Amino acid sequence: MGAIRYSTNELMAVTASRLLKDGQNIVVGLGLPQVATLLAQNTHAPNINIIYEIGVINPEAVDPGVGIADPRLWHRSEYFTSFIGTLGEILQKGLVDVGFLGGLQIDRYGNINSTLVRTDGKMRHFTGSGGASDIATFSRNVYVIIKHERRKIVDTLDYLTTAGYLRGHETRRECGLPMCESIKVITNLCVMGINPEDKSLQVESIHPGISEEDIINSTGFEVKMSPGTKVTEQPTEEELRLLRERIDPAGMYIK
Amino acid sequence: MVDKVRDLKEVVSEIPAEGAEIALGGFAITRCPIAFACELIRQNKREMSLYEIIGSMDADMLVGAGAVKSLSYGGGSLDRFGRLGRINEAIENGTIDVKEYSGLGLTLRFTAGSMGIPFIPTKAMLGTEIIQNLLKAEPAVKVGQSPFDGESYVFLGALQPEYSVIHCQYADKKGNVVTEGPVWDLDLAKAGRKLIVTVEKIVSTEYIKRFPEKVIIPGVYTYAVVEAPYGAYPTSVYKCYDYDARALKLYAGVNTNQHDFDEYLSKYVLGTKDHNEFIEQMGGIARLNSITADPVFGYAMGGKNDGSD
Repeated sequence: MGAIRYSTNELMAVTASRLLKDGQNIVVGLGLPQVATLLAQNTHAPNINIIYEIGVINPEAVDPGVGIADPRLWHRSEYFTSFIGTLGEILQKGLVDVGFLGGLQIDRYGNINSTLVRTDGKMRHFTGSGGASDIATFSRNVYVIIKHERRKIVDTLDYLTTAGYLRGHETRRECGLPMCESIKVITNLCVMGINPEDKSLQVESIHPGISEEDIINSTGFEVKMSPGTKVTEQPTEEELRLLRERIDPAGMYIK
Repeated sequence: MVDKVRDLKEVVSEIPAEGAEIALGGFAITRCPIAFACELIRQNKREMSLYEIIGSMDADMLVGAGAVKSLSYGGGSLDRFGRLGRINEAIENGTIDVKEYSGLGLTLRFTAGSMGIPFIPTKAMLGTEIIQNLLKAEPAVKVGQSPFDGESYVFLGALQPEYSVIHCQYADKKGNVVTEGPVWDLDLAKAGRKLIVTVEKIVSTEYIKRFPEKVIIPGVYTYAVVEAPYGAYPTSVYKCYDYDARALKLYAGVNTNQHDFDEYLSKYVLGTKDHNEFIEQMGGIARLNSITADPVFGYAMGGKNDGSD
């Protein structure tokens, strides 16, 4: 048998899906988070609960949508509710195990900027936080999927919309925020997790074919390797089959 | 029996010409009160204070039309189709006063308003620059200690905007509102001192009495009901019609700069006498037929509806 071929996005989706556990309540956005969650549901975690912040729980979409405001993604739901029903109740009560987020920038303590970028004294405003800030505040675990570039994985955020571990150590707790159990950052080069001492990001596994130097060159802060950094496990043929035939047959996200 | 049914032009004419305080429902590309927003523009309302939890095309059009003095929102977009270009530029140039919240942050202010309590505590936004900026600019937002557990909380003052405006599927003339699908704008609606509901169709109270569990807002909250068929077009209304990808793409193309936006506005909004003419300009009945929702799926089946046609 020859080597299994897969795209970087497929590897990221599979890696994220393996972090999810059966029975977890997961706040999902469109794109790779949704793909990863559906993959987990189709493999090791059939009893996952999917929550969209707009007020939709456990839909079974048959057509791809353009965002969580697309009725395509609401098909065959189990429950429709309000923002208060999702963010104000389920999330704020602490019932969310995993919140998936993206963003414009992330820093070494897992803080995220989803609002604006400054270059040469000018500001460019993007979409704002929406529920992302809330999801990071109240989810037990926050998984961030982001492209690994120096302008995105930065030393200093242009704007802090979403709290990670703030300035590390105990600063999150001291600020009055509930302590989340973990932050994982899944990039196209590696997976980073949180150092238990100072609560900063450190590399936990490096994707096949990527070197430590690639990661160092693409990271805006001095990146640390965790003791026992591994190579990210490759997708299985069955996972790739599910992704390609069942979950994203049009290849919208996994290409 | 109380009859709250009003005509769109008439109810909009009642809104002060300057300085009205209005909260709009809608989320990105769904159930946005577009007919209402366009009528505000036609009637040349100015200096508005606008609130929208997730900003969408309606708020972007009002900002682009120069009708808005201040905007409080939790961010927003046109989903895949694009950004809120007029709002983004207004923020970048500082031409309007913008207060950004998290989605839950602004929603909780409405929740307190809907319940008639003075404030509500949360840990949302703690530790962020969102809260730092609000503490500087918004007297209704404070951080303090809870008298119960001594921990830090954000205290959000209740918000009861002068008008709340949402677009839904059905209501009866008493103002009992039926919405299908998720209801992210429920608390915003109930917070308004005057709730105006534009609906696809006014239904009989007999219908309401057959499905009372579908009523998300009882008439006791409602000030006026306006029948506005396709009132959210080109955004979607679940089980009625899909978003019109072609029209949204057109908008996402023109809202990137003021010049193109102004041309769009004068042709499609100021150059039309009402929402029916706006829709005719966009392709009329043939266009609407192409986005009619399938009753099982709640959106238009077949075709990609991603604007690629």
